[in-house]
Amino acid sequence: MSRRTTVRLGSFAAVAVALWFLPTLQGPIGFPIFYLLFGYTLLFWFAQASSWNMFTGYSGYFSFGQGAFFGVGVYTTGVLAAKRGWPLIAAIPVAGILAAALGLSLGFVVFRLRRLQGEIFALVTLAVAFVVAAIARVSSKIDGGSGIALNDVQLPDFLGTFPSMMFRLGLVIAVLTVFAAATIQHSRLGWGLFSINDDEAVAESLGVPTFRHKMMAFGMSAFFAGLSGAVHAIQISYITIEDVFSIRIPLFVIVMSVLGGMRHWMGPIVGATIIHTLTDRLNRASDLELFGGNVTVSLDHLNDIIIGLLLIVMVLAVKDGLWPRLVDRKWAAAGAFVVGILIARIWAPEMSPIGQFVAGELGAVAVLLPSSAVIDRWRSRGGPSETPDEPTSQPTVGATP
Amino acid sequence: MTLYGQAIISGVLAGGLYAMMSLGVSLSWGVLKIINLAYFSFILLAGYGSYELAANQGWDPFVTVLAVVPVFVIVGGLLQLFFEKVKIGEFESLLVTFGLLIMLESVARSIWSADFRRIPSTENPYASSSLRIGEFAFPTPQLSAFLTAIVIGLLMKYLLDRTYFGKAVRALAQDRDMARAFGVDHRRVAVLLSGLAAATAAIAGVFIAMSQALFPSLAVEWFGIVFPVVILGGLGSTLGALGAGVVIGVVAAIASVTWGPSYAPLATFVILIATLLFRPDGLFTRKASV
Amino acid sequence: MSLLQFDGIHKRFGGVAALGGVSGTLDEGEILGLVGPNGSGKSTLINILSGFAEPNEGRISFAGVDVTDTEAHHRFGAGIARTYQIPRPFSSMTVRHNVAVPLIFGKTKLHPSAATERAMHWLEFAGLASYADQPVSELNLHQLKYLELARALASEPRVLFLDEVLAGLNPTEIEESILMIRRIHDLGISLVIVEHVLRVVNALSTRIVALNQGLVIAEGAPTDVMADPEVVKAYLGSRWKHA
Repeated sequence: MSRRTTVRLGSFAAVAVALWFLPTLQGPIGFPIFYLLFGYTLLFWFAQASSWNMFTGYSGYFSFGQGAFFGVGVYTTGVLAAKRGWPLIAAIPVAGILAAALGLSLGFVVFRLRRLQGEIFALVTLAVAFVVAAIARVSSKIDGGSGIALNDVQLPDFLGTFPSMMFRLGLVIAVLTVFAAATIQHSRLGWGLFSINDDEAVAESLGVPTFRHKMMAFGMSAFFAGLSGAVHAIQISYITIEDVFSIRIPLFVIVMSVLGGMRHWMGPIVGATIIHTLTDRLNRASDLELFGGNVTVSLDHLNDIIIGLLLIVMVLAVKDGLWPRLVDRKWAAAGAFVVGILIARIWAPEMSPIGQFVAGELGAVAVLLPSSAVIDRWRSRGGPSETPDEPTSQPTVGATP
Repeated sequence: MTLYGQAIISGVLAGGLYAMMSLGVSLSWGVLKIINLAYFSFILLAGYGSYELAANQGWDPFVTVLAVVPVFVIVGGLLQLFFEKVKIGEFESLLVTFGLLIMLESVARSIWSADFRRIPSTENPYASSSLRIGEFAFPTPQLSAFLTAIVIGLLMKYLLDRTYFGKAVRALAQDRDMARAFGVDHRRVAVLLSGLAAATAAIAGVFIAMSQALFPSLAVEWFGIVFPVVILGGLGSTLGALGAGVVIGVVAAIASVTWGPSYAPLATFVILIATLLFRPDGLFTRKASV
Repeated sequence: MSLLQFDGIHKRFGGVAALGGVSGTLDEGEILGLVGPNGSGKSTLINILSGFAEPNEGRISFAGVDVTDTEAHHRFGAGIARTYQIPRPFSSMTVRHNVAVPLIFGKTKLHPSAATERAMHWLEFAGLASYADQPVSELNLHQLKYLELARALASEPRVLFLDEVLAGLNPTEIEESILMIRRIHDLGISLVIVEHVLRVVNALSTRIVALNQGLVIAEGAPTDVMADPEVVKAYLGSRWKHA
């Protein structure tokens, strides 16, 4: 093991351990409990986005199936822990296994196709959440259409109070998922997936077992999505088909990963942080009153519009996402972050820490996103449909160990 | 047996609607190489447009087509023009139109809320009327949607098989560069085709507004019907979409009658998977991209 | 015993027969030239032998083992490699990483970090060492074709299919490439070359197989095959269309 790897592993473990003891410090330091739940949700998105990205980001196969795997996880907890009285801790691994089984069976059908594999894969995964939802709705053993309350689930009390427990469960799953994503990226599997992303047929002819690699990565991706869903069931507390299998989960993991960058395990983390903090603030913001109060815009509705717009702009203009740019221009970004926070403090002194963080974040993003990128592309003659060989990302960002 | 007879009739009729909903996606994907999820929001918004005109302005639901369709022809054409401008790739198009779908769904939600919206029966006499033959009923909205779908299908078929425009479209579908080399104005053909595709989506939306309640998340729920139809029918195939729509419609209707309505999506998905497993090659009009 | 042997290979696309029962052998150390007009089935044959496409009928054996149903990546590991007529590099990787992929997954099964180091050896062989950490977009066509060679050689194959490695190159580059092909042959690798430039095939090949409309129409020493009336007719009938 190289020195660099050891240092990285060490710091990764140190961050994980430090976060584990964060809830213990809540009493002595006295920060609001809200931050633990906020932290849990952030960790939940780390796990969801990373699990999605470890397959789709690396291999280039677009999966809309995240909602289905998440949903299988949620309902495993619902059925095993709420209806049958299993302890939550026992239901979580089962959730992962069931989600992986669903992923593997889908992969088995689609990955053997000779034609249009990528496109068909995207659409089948898009449809699968509805089918899983339909099964859950039909079967009274699962949901039967009435939803499941999770008030009486046997929780792992040894992890502390409810917020501490959620935070720690979320942490364990996020750490496992992110660690898996980082490990895959630098492993043979990662190399195989990146070469599949570039040219699957050539990869196969250079010895990459493409079918096996896709199955492995997709299975793992589904597994972690299921684990994370199983914990999140507790957070939702009353689960219904409509909420669990909505398009939000796939939408958010896609936007987070595209924003952060899909070719590096840090990408989804950066993206999840930005999206989660931003949408959290927007959800809490009061309605905007424009034109002297004549027109009221609910920021809550704006949320999805911003997310959709962000996706469009990122896909068209900043294909590699923010992470490679952040690596290149870390000092500029850090400076802009500080400036953003300072402006927020001066302009709105009573703003919450999360609000200030968002202000800093927006400053950093503004520095990293060249505003001219869209215009350049509009003017440029070479688009991806014409010059497929033009590299769209930094070569060193790919499968670099 | 009457139950099943009626189920088959409703299935066939619904199939026409499914075909109209799918035609845009199928043509766009098969010919323009753009997987356009925005058509789902076109269907939804066209439905809401028709609802507004019928419920609040007192238009006859059928007549709303005249106002709604031109709007979406323009919207569809402009969208394609944008795609041509930025030279969008196939997977990019999937993501970009997904973003668009989310935005438009959110717009619909902020205008019409998440509640059910249905044209009141006073303004929409067709919802409860039907043609009766013996013991079977042919509800007016579904029957007219079916007949419209057949007319549109045949018109499209004629347009694609017999006209210069159709030749240009087929040339594009087969080999983009070659078509360009032979002087096909790629952009104009694509914009025109996209406008037509959006028109069929808008017509489908009008019929949906006529026959059922609207709510914003419908757009996403249609995935489960449209994609099986597109894949079963074959990419870019007009009559294929019509046939596949009927197959999916009948299967869904029979599943509903036999086991309950919740089983319908399950049945269509089983068909989709079975198609992919057993007849993947025979169903596509396009050659391997590898 | 032949290194590579194929019997009665049939391939149909739709109703059209691309190959109508092709048999042949490749011996250790040979340079086999595969010639024929466009659409004669050369590329299809290479695709089938390298595991890229499945034949409708026929058997293939490699080093005495039946590989008809062996997947392409296993054939590569066993020692069958190929290049593409139009270079297909991994466009988001550096030149060096392109060569590392076959070292990781081919016969050598190296660890990624070892593979990245070992890749330099083959980049030096192909004269691309100075481009090692550049993106592939920095390479011109000639260099991309050499990159194809470096990737194929990295796993130390026993047979290498060269699909029109000279197409699109200028005369100087063609001369260099011919030297390169000889150097590859000197490594002890048996070659199958598909080429339009007949002069080159004549000069390089130890034996030639001529295909036309999916059938073998002549086989033997270069001079004999080129003099064969069937071959002359096949070429004169169609070569001008794609010159």
